[in-house]
Amino acid sequence: MDSDCLSLLPAVCLVLADPKQSPPDDTSLEKLLDWFKELHSQSDGQVLLQHQPCLLEFISSVCMSKTTDPAILSFTLKLTGLLAATTQELHLFDEGGLLVYVFEREAWGVCDLWEDASVRSGWLQGLLNMLKHQQALGFMCGNGLIKVILQLQNDRSLFVACLANQLLVHILNFLTSSNMTNGSDVVGSSESSLRPDWVAASSEIMNAVVEALSSEDHPQVLQGLRLLSLVLSKCGEPIISTLWKDVLVPLEVLVNRGSESLIQTLITVLEAALGTPLLSQSEYKVEELLEAMLGDGNRKECFHCAALIVKLEKCPEVLKRKATDIILLPLQCVSTQPQAEKEINVVLKEQLSQKASCISLLMQSLSSLAQLAHTKYLFEDISIHSITSSVLLLLRMCSGHCPTSLLHSNAFTHLIGCCKVQRCGLDTLGALSVYEEILDLRKDIFGVLLDYLQSPDSHATVLKKTFQAVKRWIVCSPFPDLLQFISHDLFPVLEKRMCDLRWEVRDSTLEFITQLTTALNGNSGFTEALHISGMVSVLLSSLADAEGYVRASAVAAVGEAVTASSHQMVLVSNSKLLDEALVQMMAILSQDTEGFPRRAVVQAFTSWLKGSHLITALELSLSSVLSLGGSDFDWEVKMHTLELAEVLMEKTLTCCPYAVQNFGSSEETRFTQALIKFKNFGLFDLLFNSLFDCDRPVCEKACALLVKLRTLTAETADLDNSLLVLNVCGNRWGDEVQRRYLNKQQAKASVSVTNGVTGSDEGTDCGLHSTKDISLPKILQILDLDDMQRMLTLSSDHVVNSPRSLMEDILSAAQHSEENIVDCY
Amino acid sequence: MKLYCLSGHPTLPCNVLKFKSTTIMLDCGLDTTAALYFLPLPLVHSPRLSKLPGWVSKDGAVNLEKELKECSGRVFVDSQPEFCLPEKELLDLSTIDVILISNYHCMMALPYITEHTGFTGTVYATEPTLQIGRLLMEELVTFMERVPKAQAATCWKNKEIQRLLPGPLKDAVDVWSWRKCYSVQEVNSALSKVQLVGYSQKVELFGAVQVTPLSSGYSLGSSNWIIQSHYEKVSYVSGSSLLTTHPQPMEQSSLKNSDVLILTGLTQIPTANPDGMLGEFCSNLAMTIRAGGNVLVPCYSSGVIYDLLECLYQFMDSANLGSTPFYFISPVANSSLEFSQIFAEWLCQNKQSKVYLPEPPFPHAELIQTNKLKHYPSIHGDFSSEFRQPCVVFTGHPSLRFGDVVHFMELWGKSSLNTIIFTEPDFSYLDALAPYQPLAMKCVYCPIDTRLNFHQVSKLLKDIQPLHVVCPEPYTQPPPAQPHRSDLMLELQPPPMAYRRCSVLGLPFRRRYERIHLLPELARSLVPSEIKAGVSVATVSAVLQSKDNKHVLQPVPKPAPVPPSKKRKRVTEEPPEVLNPKPLLSGAVPLEPFLAMLHKNGITEVKVEETADGHILHLQTEDVLIQLEEDATHIICDNNEPLRTALRDLVLRFLQKL
Repeated sequence: MDSDCLSLLPAVCLVLADPKQSPPDDTSLEKLLDWFKELHSQSDGQVLLQHQPCLLEFISSVCMSKTTDPAILSFTLKLTGLLAATTQELHLFDEGGLLVYVFEREAWGVCDLWEDASVRSGWLQGLLNMLKHQQALGFMCGNGLIKVILQLQNDRSLFVACLANQLLVHILNFLTSSNMTNGSDVVGSSESSLRPDWVAASSEIMNAVVEALSSEDHPQVLQGLRLLSLVLSKCGEPIISTLWKDVLVPLEVLVNRGSESLIQTLITVLEAALGTPLLSQSEYKVEELLEAMLGDGNRKECFHCAALIVKLEKCPEVLKRKATDIILLPLQCVSTQPQAEKEINVVLKEQLSQKASCISLLMQSLSSLAQLAHTKYLFEDISIHSITSSVLLLLRMCSGHCPTSLLHSNAFTHLIGCCKVQRCGLDTLGALSVYEEILDLRKDIFGVLLDYLQSPDSHATVLKKTFQAVKRWIVCSPFPDLLQFISHDLFPVLEKRMCDLRWEVRDSTLEFITQLTTALNGNSGFTEALHISGMVSVLLSSLADAEGYVRASAVAAVGEAVTASSHQMVLVSNSKLLDEALVQMMAILSQDTEGFPRRAVVQAFTSWLKGSHLITALELSLSSVLSLGGSDFDWEVKMHTLELAEVLMEKTLTCCPYAVQNFGSSEETRFTQALIKFKNFGLFDLLFNSLFDCDRPVCEKACALLVKLRTLTAETADLDNSLLVLNVCGNRWGDEVQRRYLNKQQAKASVSVTNGVTGSDEGTDCGLHSTKDISLPKILQILDLDDMQRMLTLSSDHVVNSPRSLMEDILSAAQHSEENIVDCY
Repeated sequence: MKLYCLSGHPTLPCNVLKFKSTTIMLDCGLDTTAALYFLPLPLVHSPRLSKLPGWVSKDGAVNLEKELKECSGRVFVDSQPEFCLPEKELLDLSTIDVILISNYHCMMALPYITEHTGFTGTVYATEPTLQIGRLLMEELVTFMERVPKAQAATCWKNKEIQRLLPGPLKDAVDVWSWRKCYSVQEVNSALSKVQLVGYSQKVELFGAVQVTPLSSGYSLGSSNWIIQSHYEKVSYVSGSSLLTTHPQPMEQSSLKNSDVLILTGLTQIPTANPDGMLGEFCSNLAMTIRAGGNVLVPCYSSGVIYDLLECLYQFMDSANLGSTPFYFISPVANSSLEFSQIFAEWLCQNKQSKVYLPEPPFPHAELIQTNKLKHYPSIHGDFSSEFRQPCVVFTGHPSLRFGDVVHFMELWGKSSLNTIIFTEPDFSYLDALAPYQPLAMKCVYCPIDTRLNFHQVSKLLKDIQPLHVVCPEPYTQPPPAQPHRSDLMLELQPPPMAYRRCSVLGLPFRRRYERIHLLPELARSLVPSEIKAGVSVATVSAVLQSKDNKHVLQPVPKPAPVPPSKKRKRVTEEPPEVLNPKPLLSGAVPLEPFLAMLHKNGITEVKVEETADGHILHLQTEDVLIQLEEDATHIICDNNEPLRTALRDLVLRFLQKL
């Protein structure tokens, strides 16, 4: 393939270098570069440039041209970098002085092209591509390119600036990496072993960082900080400590200045520093700086800092405690009683009195709390009990209930009906369920959650969060009154919510019921409550909802309820329920106009079948599900049907629940019986039909299942083929099998004719005419499943996605460009 | 300018504005909550209600067995329900020139005001307001007249007796002013005084003020009113809504730049969001129907019911309850449903555009066509033969004291499968249910009040910026049940002026200007002279003619030439001689130049004294005082006329003559 492409390369180069041609789109150029990259990595010392002189010509002509397109120039720069990534190639370039020519923008045919961001980006990318060996670094240092890179660090294009930072980090890293030291005489990684110009280069970069941090220009400071955090996370010693020593003073100044817009970046820097050995050395003051960021909790920015620090993974404990104390302040301040007239700082008070800042502070406070709860953080100065009470109070305030005495009446009015805070608070309340210490607050918690579920004003998204929190609290630990709560308090609310005007609410209610049923699977009391309270019949009526998504969720909920019943043997008394459920579900599968409910039906069957308990009533419906699901228009329904088939196969073949297990039958007969059962279910029809489906994933899945089946049949020696004969007439897959069968027969016949063999039993049996019935093992043989599987795993565009077709495209586009113009007219 | 407040009810206002010699009544709402003190009027004989024990005081001293009945632990008046009227004693109602009606709910007291009071004015209302208002009045009359009561109970109203009654009857106020319902004749007579207006139509009242109705977005034909003269503007904002329901949206911009804004008719349930309530309504309805129960919706026969039917039209199918019948029972059900479809120009845009398709603007037409919604004038007749359960019944009256709803309460109250859903916010649902206790039926309170809430109104006021706001007293404090909800009140700068029943407010602005027209020939004769940049003045001699509150300056008629006569005429008969007025002076006398001028004219000894208003110059030799003030100059000299004249001329040199 590559040799084909290489033969096209000169022509492609000519087209690309031709200024009269409009350049191919970016994606094509990127793909071409990818191909070069691949070629380069496979070349094993073979130098591409030597064999393809057209490349050098192309590069020099692009650079000299007065009418180069920026896209082509950018491509050329990247390509040059790529081609100069080995010492040998670099020399080839250097011989003609071409490399300097390429990367020296003053030398280009059109200097103005530098103004184009894509060109600057290509220039940087080229250098980055090249930086694989010492000579490359030498080239950069020797030609003063470091200075240009440093300038680009403050480029107006963010992509360019970011790339410049990456390149600088790469250079620094390179200076200290083994590549360099291997090349030098002295073994070791100290700076002394480096060439003086490299030392100069590294100090040039580091000085630039220091300078940026001390600058008054905000974007420059920001870039400096970004570079610093990159260095800290990507580079090793001694770069880190050397740089840190230099930047410490300006960094301290920045931290103490506490500018709001720098906080995020400063924290990123300090976070990166936390992951380095700098943390353990007190003279580097990492912890001290973080602490300084927090201040005394009386600056406007400290809450933002605290929220970020709480999220840090490797944060020193003391610092985390301090940050936790600060971030919880807004929550406590709004929702606790004014105890002992504790002095609330003025800044916080002011922030809470303005709506926007009040809400954002509380959300930071709540989400940090949730974050801490996820790690089951141990609070020290403040009890989790009082924190939870605060969250509860806050949630009550959001729905208009006012505590007896209030610290901030302003904050209260901001909060009424505020969905953002409600959602955040409910998330946090759910997260707090990990603390066993607050189990005694459960009554209050469920009280608040029920209020939210009942409130007519609860937004759909708030309700969803409430459901999540309820589930977490129900699941976290069972409590004596759980069933009482569920059937007396929860179910009536859910029943009402299932009649809600908003389909989103009906949907999330049904989802919640499904989740709850799954979570409480095995709790006989719950299952009983589900039936006695009439919830199941409400669920059944939801199967006829007007909204497809809701019907799908209802199907899942009914499915889960039936499973739970079957586990608890409640079903015996409720066989009517199962019958009704089955009738409705089959109606959905066969008639529903939307895909989601149909998918859900097949999934419900799958989960029933997966369950440990046998639901014999399902057996009757299985074949209909397989045939309806297999012939559905929606490819996902077909996929789910194949999954159902897979489970059916697994279940049947491992424990054979459907096979008659008297007579102590042997493994073989049991297998045969299982296969007969499959045949009766219509499983084979499904698999073969799907194998020739128009959707590739469906074919792939069917193929995999058939391969499995083939393995099993092959393993079973004395399979009674006569029992497993399938009719191959009158359907698509049958025709295909017949065609292949005949082809094979023909091939065999011609072979036998040429060999002069009169033919084996098989040959004479079948002859050269079509047949109606073929046995399953035979069909599996006839179909070249392995080849089909291989073809199916290739992505659908594998033919058109090759580099060859890419190059041909470029060439043909160039040839036809003129005609196209005429055509357009 | 004064405002007389005849009703303290914030949503059933009745105020009288005296403005520039006109007396304008703004709405006349009827407070029907007094009906809650009365026993329900059953349409069909109710053994339960007829067997109630009469009330006798514990010591047996007071026996009102005939008038008061004990029912479910409370005492009710057994008589035709009465209503609390607007105050009639605060001012003479016959002096009212016009009544402006803002919506059909706020005109129910009209017959009490226009009949038997000597009222001779005009009532202004939009067409839907008149027509639907008429329906509501007729319905009320039918409800009452269908179940006549032999006698009216009055003994209990005796102050001495009322004092001894159990609560809440004991605490009822102004019971002597309560009146029973009017008659059809009175309704017809009252409504014959209505003159129809359209939105933005300008109506001149005696040339003095102009009134204009603006769409208020609350109900079909509902309006706010602008009352303005040339230099003053009063806005009257009654029940308004910013929600997208069936009526035309609220017109806000014309309310800008008001001197006074009278604000009434905000939502009665500020904590209940109409959308949420509509959701509650639907889900409770669906739950009941699914469980095989019936739903009773006590409601007015016009208004929110249109929106409810529209919402249910979509909801019932999605909730898979498509086959459940809806019954709308009211003496005016048919007219109400049909009227709503013909007032297309009063509807919101998307309903209007349906008319051009052509399609009926409201989907209840389709509900009727498909037999899902059936309407009957009463439970008697066809209804009983077609009645099918489970069903949803919409019927009045929301007070549960009269109308067909009483029958359904008796019929369905005993079963817990049934649900009553209250959607009208005018009555406390617990009080409404009191005579039906104990009740097994489920009760759901979903008050749907689409009128402005406090949040919307404060935004609106910020936008239109009236100089002063007048509102009912309850709007100036948080609701009594939620004293901490400072967000549920009006907080304005300057604070709003609050009124209660019988308040008389002097509105805080003075009229400073009046517009006077100048006839062209008079204008031509004027000689303006500029006294400072952009300001010119001229003297005018003319005759001022005032007619229909319009003022015109006309040239002075020339005296008819005296016919030559030898007879001496008596002096008194001669037309007064028109003297040319003396020229007016303007300008200021600057001190220093004036002193210089005096000096030049030989007056050298001048002592200048500075005063608060200017200067006093003492010409010592001449013993003359000259007071130079900002708006006056006095020359005080005794018996020296030539000197005074000389000094006067010196002063005049600095002044301009007009």
